Amino acid sequence: MIGVIFGVIVPYIAVAIFVAGVIYRIINWASSAVPLKVPTTGGQQKSFPFIKRTIYDRFDSPYTKWETAGRMLLEIFFFRSLLKNTRYYLDRTSQKDARWLWLFGIMFHYSLLLVLIRHSRFFLEPVPSFVETLSNIEAFKGVFIPSVYISGLVIVVALFLLWLRRIFLSRERTLSLPSDHFVLILLLAITISGNIMRYFIKADLYEVKELLTNLMIFNIGKAIEVANNIEPIFYIHFGLACFLLAYFPFSKLMHAGGVLFTPTRNMPNDNRARRHVNPWDPADVPLLSKGITVAGMTFKSKKLDWDTYHEMYADQLEEIEEADFKIVPEEL
Amino acid sequence: MEEAPERLEIRQRFPSWREMLKPVKKFEEGRVSYLSLPKQVNSEFFKMPFGDVERDLDDLKLPENWKEIFLDAMKDTLEKNRAFKVFMDICVRCGACADKCHYYIGTGDPKNMPVGRAELIRSVYRRYFTPAGKIFGELAGARELTEDVLKELYYYAYQCSLCRRCSVFCPYGIDTAEIVWWLRRMLSRVGLNQRFMTISIEASSRTGNHLGLLPGGMYGSIQQGLEELKDITGFDLHTYINKKGADVLFVAPSADYFATPHWYVMLGYLLLFNELEERYGLTITWSTYAGEGGNFGSFHSYEAAQLLNSKLYKEAERLGVSFIIGGECGHMWRDKHQFINTMNQPPKNEEWKRFWENPDLGELAEGLRGIRFDSYASGEHGWIHILEFVAALIEHKKIKVDKSRNDQWIATYHDPCNIARGMGLIEEPRYVLRNVMNNFYDMPEHTIKDKTYCCGAGGGLLADELMDLRMRGVMPRMMAVRHVYKKYGVNILLTPCAIDKAQFPHALEYWKIPVEVGGPMEMVGNALVLTAFGEKPEDRQYDLRGEPLKKEEGE
Ligand code: SF4
Ligand code: SF4
Repeated sequence: MIGVIFGVIVPYIAVAIFVAGVIYRIINWASSAVPLKVPTTGGQQKSFPFIKRTIYDRFDSPYTKWETAGRMLLEIFFFRSLLKNTRYYLDRTSQKDARWLWLFGIMFHYSLLLVLIRHSRFFLEPVPSFVETLSNIEAFKGVFIPSVYISGLVIVVALFLLWLRRIFLSRERTLSLPSDHFVLILLLAITISGNIMRYFIKADLYEVKELLTNLMIFNIGKAIEVANNIEPIFYIHFGLACFLLAYFPFSKLMHAGGVLFTPTRNMPNDNRARRHVNPWDPADVPLLSKGITVAGMTFKSKKLDWDTYHEMYADQLEEIEEADFKIVPEEL
Repeated sequence: MEEAPERLEIRQRFPSWREMLKPVKKFEEGRVSYLSLPKQVNSEFFKMPFGDVERDLDDLKLPENWKEIFLDAMKDTLEKNRAFKVFMDICVRCGACADKCHYYIGTGDPKNMPVGRAELIRSVYRRYFTPAGKIFGELAGARELTEDVLKELYYYAYQCSLCRRCSVFCPYGIDTAEIVWWLRRMLSRVGLNQRFMTISIEASSRTGNHLGLLPGGMYGSIQQGLEELKDITGFDLHTYINKKGADVLFVAPSADYFATPHWYVMLGYLLLFNELEERYGLTITWSTYAGEGGNFGSFHSYEAAQLLNSKLYKEAERLGVSFIIGGECGHMWRDKHQFINTMNQPPKNEEWKRFWENPDLGELAEGLRGIRFDSYASGEHGWIHILEFVAALIEHKKIKVDKSRNDQWIATYHDPCNIARGMGLIEEPRYVLRNVMNNFYDMPEHTIKDKTYCCGAGGGLLADELMDLRMRGVMPRMMAVRHVYKKYGVNILLTPCAIDKAQFPHALEYWKIPVEVGGPMEMVGNALVLTAFGEKPEDRQYDLRGEPLKKEEGE
């Protein structure tokens, strides 16, 4: 019974929610307009040729789409902004670098990547050779028996460190919502149960692979059969992972997709070369002069165009006209 | 003027997450902005929803269905601005931005951490726009929109100077300034506007500039500048205003017409324009209609920004100029760099089009051939910063400068937030300063360029009633100034921003740092040799402040 529920029904539901949820969120973001081109410029703009730009300037204040792509990639793969982090001390004029968050973040995300790559062996037949190679390298194959996968352990450590930050640093504790603790606990439970399964209470991995490949080709009868043979410890790990998958689109974990959508980073700083068009404002007449409507009432501001202006201040403007638009010092 | 407290105590508090969701009821003195009066927001020229009643924070006099209106405005914002929506969703509350905000550093108030500030509205977003918030409520970090929450939103939306420093450090580039900007727009939909900025917005939409100067006033002010320059240089100088057929339109922030130390920058502009006209025949005109470079509307909302900046391209077109030079102002360049050509149609006059086909200054004045703008600008925009312009003139050896005339100054340079983080103008001012003066030192690296600290009064917070907040917010900047003051004996803080020039004199006095304030164009004006008038480097006897240049022997 456990096998059918957690081995077949739950994963299908979880994957369905995950896929639909992520697609929904992305479409939802993409459907929202980008009215202005507002990159946060972190370096020297493109300017006259004699104003030199370093490689950092090119990425921090990108002008071309390649430089912008570079900025995004550095952000995604190296968490570049976190690498700039400093900490402010009230009692010192200097600042100390505080890159722990960067370190923990990198530790976590890269181990996660390795772990996921390693897990692909349960879905793919034959197992791609790079997955094998990568696993062998990180496990220092042959040194320990059974092989110890470094990433699987580092990820647990990193998660603990990230959580300790939220518990012991006062600022971070104040900022942390229950959901922030929750995802960390969930990830810890998943990774720890995974490690337990690997080193202590073993599950039959051939059966697991059998189950997953059958699920993938919707061979449900066979899947149910296999599912009932697998040890319960597997379902703790697997069930939690399914839960995470289903929770993903509704949580802050969506930052994984959102990082691509932030207009402060994904737009080039080329406002003066190429005009950005606002999809909801044709920019012919100011919106306020057309009037904005709130609760059924329209509020309209009069536009000070040149003719109105001239009419309002005619005498003074005519004096300027008489002086032939020239200002000279008054004779004393 | 309200005074900041004698003794400034920074009390850091770390409440629980639950407490963070509860609206603050007691507002600190010196940190709450006054609400607008009907004459500012119910004016013929600037009419905001429900602007016809006088309100204060004890009695908001909200329209009956305010909650609905506010949430509608929020929905509208979510659809109209992807940044806002994405920023509502993806913050992971990592805290990287927390101690990057000068107001947080200065006040210790946890809701002044950029993420704390964003959470104020994010919690409302969760409650009304996300399933988790609807179902789990407080546990999901969601809260009801009540009148107290609305007050709190107002209180903290006007404790952010829109400086974007937080955005630099955030792994997703979450720009709290942008969140706050759209939040202010939502607040204005239920009738809550901040008085200080709407005074200027209303004045600017009625007269063309923030100060409400009429054409004659602006004329007279510039004329006085020319008179002072006659005393200083001995030459009869002139300039143009509203002149059709000039080559260039020049737009400065209106504070430059009056305030000190802005005034010395004004004199610097005038000297430069005279030299360029006499020597090369390049004519530059001012305009009373487009007499405001700043744009307080850009602190308020998209629409208000557009109402104010819509005049400028129109005026360029009417006068038939080829391009526009903008003066020393920070937020002006957020507006003129990132907003103006999206919010308006660029000029369509012949001169403009012709120039931008081959944007070489030689097309306007033969002697200036070789200075080209097409490495970064086009006719779809057409604005050049005065310091970029001067940098190019120096590089191409088109003006003669005598550095030694600035020898009494040991300068440091403050990067205004908006031109550093909203434009990327970082090296040009430094290039200019190194070429017009001998003593120039930068402040520590973590306080300049893209990491520059705000002056604490930007984004509409230059109001007198915010003195406490301003003096706290400026603290990190002041500590950096004190550092170079002690280390290099710096005696002037240069900044190309009108708001800085208004804020820093108070701040330096409050923090007891004996340093003057000025703008780079003042230094350019001092050093500029008016060769076209026959001036020799050693001829100038006074600097633009009217002080004698040559120090007495033995001093
Ligand atoms: S740095 Fe960005 S993601 Fe982190 S708490 Fe601040 S706004 Fe949120
Ligand atoms: S934009 Fe500036 S003032 Fe506003 S929250 Fe960010 S750092 Fe603070």
